[in-house]
Amino acid sequence: MAEFNVLGKSLVRVDAFDKVTGHATYAGDVYLPEMLMCKVLTSTRSHARIVSIDTSEAEALPGVRGVITGQDFPDVYFGSGALRDRRVMARDEVFYIGEPVAAVAADDEITAVEALSLIKVQYEDLDAIVDPVASLTGSSTTVHPDLESFEGYAFALGGNNCTMLDADRGDVDAAFAEADQIIEETYHTQPINQGFLEPMACVANEEANGRLTVWASTQGPYQVRQQLASVLDMSIGNIKIIAMEMGGGFGAKLRLALEAFPALLAMKTHRPVKLVNTREETFTLNGPRLETNIYLKTAVSSDGKITAREARSIFDVGAYLGAGPNSGVGHGLGAYDVPNFRLRSYGVYTNKIYVGSYRASGVADMTFAVESHMDVIAHRLGIDPLEFRRHNALKEGDVSVSGARIPRHGLAEVMDALKDKMVQPGNVSDEANGKVARGVGIAVGEWRSGSGPSTASISVNEDGTVGLLTGSVDISGSDTSLAQIAAEVMGLELDQVIVAKRDTDLAPFTGPSGGSRIVYSQGKAVQMAAEDARDKLMALAADRLGVQPDALECEGGAVYVMDNPPQSIGLGQLARMSLSSRGGPVIGNASLSSMPYNPVFNAQGAEVLVDRETGQVRVTRFVQAQDVGLAVNPMGVEGQLEGGAVQGIGRALSEEIQIDPDTGQVRNASLATYLMPLAIDMPEIENVLVEVPSEDGPFGLRAVAEPPGFGPPAAIANAIYDAVGVRIRTLPLSPERVLAAMQGREPDDYGMDAEALRAAEA
Amino acid sequence: MKTVLRITVNGVERTILVEPWYSLLDTLRDELHLTGTKKGCDEGDCGACTVLLNGQPVTSCLVLAHSAHDAEVTTVEGLASGGELHPVQRSFAEHGGLQCGYCTPGLIMATVGLLNDNPDPTEEEVKFGLGGNLCRCTGYSKVIEAVMAAVESTKEAE
Repeated sequence: MAEFNVLGKSLVRVDAFDKVTGHATYAGDVYLPEMLMCKVLTSTRSHARIVSIDTSEAEALPGVRGVITGQDFPDVYFGSGALRDRRVMARDEVFYIGEPVAAVAADDEITAVEALSLIKVQYEDLDAIVDPVASLTGSSTTVHPDLESFEGYAFALGGNNCTMLDADRGDVDAAFAEADQIIEETYHTQPINQGFLEPMACVANEEANGRLTVWASTQGPYQVRQQLASVLDMSIGNIKIIAMEMGGGFGAKLRLALEAFPALLAMKTHRPVKLVNTREETFTLNGPRLETNIYLKTAVSSDGKITAREARSIFDVGAYLGAGPNSGVGHGLGAYDVPNFRLRSYGVYTNKIYVGSYRASGVADMTFAVESHMDVIAHRLGIDPLEFRRHNALKEGDVSVSGARIPRHGLAEVMDALKDKMVQPGNVSDEANGKVARGVGIAVGEWRSGSGPSTASISVNEDGTVGLLTGSVDISGSDTSLAQIAAEVMGLELDQVIVAKRDTDLAPFTGPSGGSRIVYSQGKAVQMAAEDARDKLMALAADRLGVQPDALECEGGAVYVMDNPPQSIGLGQLARMSLSSRGGPVIGNASLSSMPYNPVFNAQGAEVLVDRETGQVRVTRFVQAQDVGLAVNPMGVEGQLEGGAVQGIGRALSEEIQIDPDTGQVRNASLATYLMPLAIDMPEIENVLVEVPSEDGPFGLRAVAEPPGFGPPAAIANAIYDAVGVRIRTLPLSPERVLAAMQGREPDDYGMDAEALRAAEA
Repeated sequence: MKTVLRITVNGVERTILVEPWYSLLDTLRDELHLTGTKKGCDEGDCGACTVLLNGQPVTSCLVLAHSAHDAEVTTVEGLASGGELHPVQRSFAEHGGLQCGYCTPGLIMATVGLLNDNPDPTEEEVKFGLGGNLCRCTGYSKVIEAVMAAVESTKEAE
């Protein structure tokens, strides 16, 4: 492997100083003179017509400066993707408990809250539907009767099915007819919150020239700008989004959230307006993940080869399609070569809070189902679970679900690494006293390196330092990784690269920070921009030194002649020379629309203790191996893996948004009742960074952040099976559920009727 | 009605007018503009607002400002002295004990409070000591590593 100066080193993050001293500035830390506070009034009904809204008393309250309702916004629909199914604030109808119906700006928060209580909304209740399976196949209640007239509606079943994806290959029916074994199962996953620590916050201000400035907590400043322009009927050029330090998003902050309310109030009151959610509001105003129901049917030959898969996934999207059910198709096969398949994935409306994105939306759900299913099949066939996976694993040159050729990857290597690091299932003995059973389980995950448009610009300062400008928000230490890439290319130290804080006026357009795309895609743009700047510096140096550019090397802050290193010019001197050169000051630029598909694989294993008396499951050791291509900053990469794994452990064992089955209301909107892992819950985690270089990523690196969250639920469910012999197909794997299963009581029945689904499609 | 609060924050005595219902957290942020202390839940569940009150770690969202009259408060902004990071701050930076940074001030203050009480904790004691602080990014591994390294570096310095 190539020797690097800066890459591959666990360097301290570029933002560490600001963050450990409290000087990093988040949207909620913005205080402007004359700033008002905004609070949002939300629907108390699951589905209702708004008969009237009376804001007069609220407006008369001293200290209240502005009140808005849905009628104050332009009459437009917007959407998270192509389908425009949503208004930014309810206008004539509300579709879930918690939907915004009015907002207030007042001198202080307490006055704003009091004003909300003075707004009188009269509702006329309509029928509501909460259960997504019934909503798809068996309900006469329609959430959005106008669905088929919405802009962007594409082929789906209609009714409450707003989007459907499918993928087919081979002769599925023949493969099932010839199968030695057919395994058919249904899995269920729970609604879940992203759990970011910084509640959604923003400040909006109307500038004297009429432009709108928004200090936002967002992963996608350009996406927020575009959506804000759409719902306010403004031109994009009249909006500036300042992307502040972001206190966690994990997908929840990819799109327009609540920014339109303070924005409209700022324009109405001509004063800055700030909105900061309470923790309760992060559960009720901000799209979480909702439940999925996943049906899997697999044909296998007796020698352990998967010959066909049928998968049908129902994704509850709540009242609006905030994030699509793509993973139901894209991840219906797992990391395996399956010659024949029929995959269907449905997004289904219900009267609950709209679904949002969370760390590869839906993939963790699909991985729980597919990787539990793999274990079930392996046990049925009497084959070791890891060997069964290896036997069916995707290889270079195979074809992905979407038809892409699978390039070089490290799937075999991560499975080998996992095998080296842990005892395999079936080989652990129970604790001596019999009260606690020990088990081991594994799971394999797959993702692709994120793509989307990327840009970068590098300027060279007169002292030889460089400024790096990208539009990407740092959500994962990416600023540090991008700066390391720039430093490596230009022969600089990390602290010689200054990463600019960005806004949409300053930085060129780039895709949102999500899907593990930044260091892979944006990193490529940074690499190209740095090469561009370096080449320009070398051309200047060649001219001055009277040699050809290819005789030169750029390293250690200088350009020197390879055959005669003392003959050199420092980058600072070159930058100063460039000011009066024909080409002008040196700037390196790069722009790309998309990066090729490159897979990322990981293998994860959990060792658990199951308490036979209480059903309590404790993860005692967690091992994960991931092909990262190149670990740009190993400490940062490990941090991503550990954080992702712990989110996955929370998903496996304790996290669940409890939703009222009659009204669709979120019942546990607090961190005391929504149970995220604490330090005391954590097992020993061991990471193995496998480096099989990707074919296209900068310096061979791959995406990192999404996969570690995929495997824990299946690995832990498989470990529970290994420990006590019960198979649990519903998340979370709570003590109640484990105990019930051990006592032989009926498992949860989510009534996924595959026949009814097939009939609905016909 | 706002009444007078006298409070020493990061070694500086301040006399300010504060509403009677204001929390110490809101006072630090809204009145003194010390925004390093973060509001994650305002209910005492997340620990992001942890500060030292007379040397003891508290969730400042659950402390009424006026109950801290004449008290000494240390926030994350008050830890570094003369441009030198506090050993706990340095250790969090060097060992990757932070990612998005939102829980970091609270975790650092909880750690400083813990080490004031128990300068040589076991890893298990650290996990319990930080049991009131949620972190969603790191999975805690590198946080614990950072705290244990800070313990070691402090021992070496003595």
